[in-house]
Amino acid sequence: MAEEMKCLTQEPSEHMLVMDNDISQIPLLAGFVDRIADQTGIDMATAMGINLALEEAVTNVMLYAYPKDQKGAVHLKAILKPDSIEFVLWDAGVPFDPTKAPKADITLSVEERAIGGLGIHLVRNIMDDVSYKHEDGMNILTMIKNIK
Amino acid sequence: MEVKIIEKDQVLVAELAGRLDTAVSQEVSLQLQPLVDNADKTLVLDCKKLEYISSSGLRIFLTIRKAAAAKGGKVIVQDISSEIRQVFMMTGFLNLFEVTSSDK
Repeated sequence: MAEEMKCLTQEPSEHMLVMDNDISQIPLLAGFVDRIADQTGIDMATAMGINLALEEAVTNVMLYAYPKDQKGAVHLKAILKPDSIEFVLWDAGVPFDPTKAPKADITLSVEERAIGGLGIHLVRNIMDDVSYKHEDGMNILTMIKNIK
Repeated sequence: MEVKIIEKDQVLVAELAGRLDTAVSQEVSLQLQPLVDNADKTLVLDCKKLEYISSSGLRIFLTIRKAAAAKGGKVIVQDISSEIRQVFMMTGFLNLFEVTSSDK
């Protein structure tokens, strides 16, 4: 019993995923989200939304953070809290604040709609809070998803 | 991710199965080029077995939709899951596409 109590009150657990700036590694996110879903018990729709938001944020880093043909690491950490999951994404690439990207207008017609620009729109819609900072030469994007 | 294109009676049906993420989107885009080339016809994107789509996949859908608008064709998105429907809602894609269910 004492063991169980200890287990329940332990520090929030964390998951880490380190990738190269190579979009062929995007499928690693699915396994990462599966592990979080198993531990938190979030439903399938929420898990898919998280997977999608993470893919959009990570893709952005993989494609644009580092100069072309330069290998660079993309770090993703998930901190599991009782009522939310905090995702921290960081890289040592060119400073870029994705939260400053112009908002996508999703009411436009087929002809007017731009082909791109949906990635950050999805991150903003799926996550409950998105914030950026540049610190110690790192782009740090924090995304919080409320789960209760 | 698997793509199969079937043509019958002037209708092109593309069956999409699996996960349409950024890693496979370039390949899928090439595989779906016949739909862009035949955008004067009726094009069906059969999503019964599509498990996941990210913005890279949505871009492909929009490219096909734009081609159809330019050439006078029609695009039908068939049998999306409730999760993918949510993504369509968030991006305004429900307003851009005719979304149908084959059950009806």
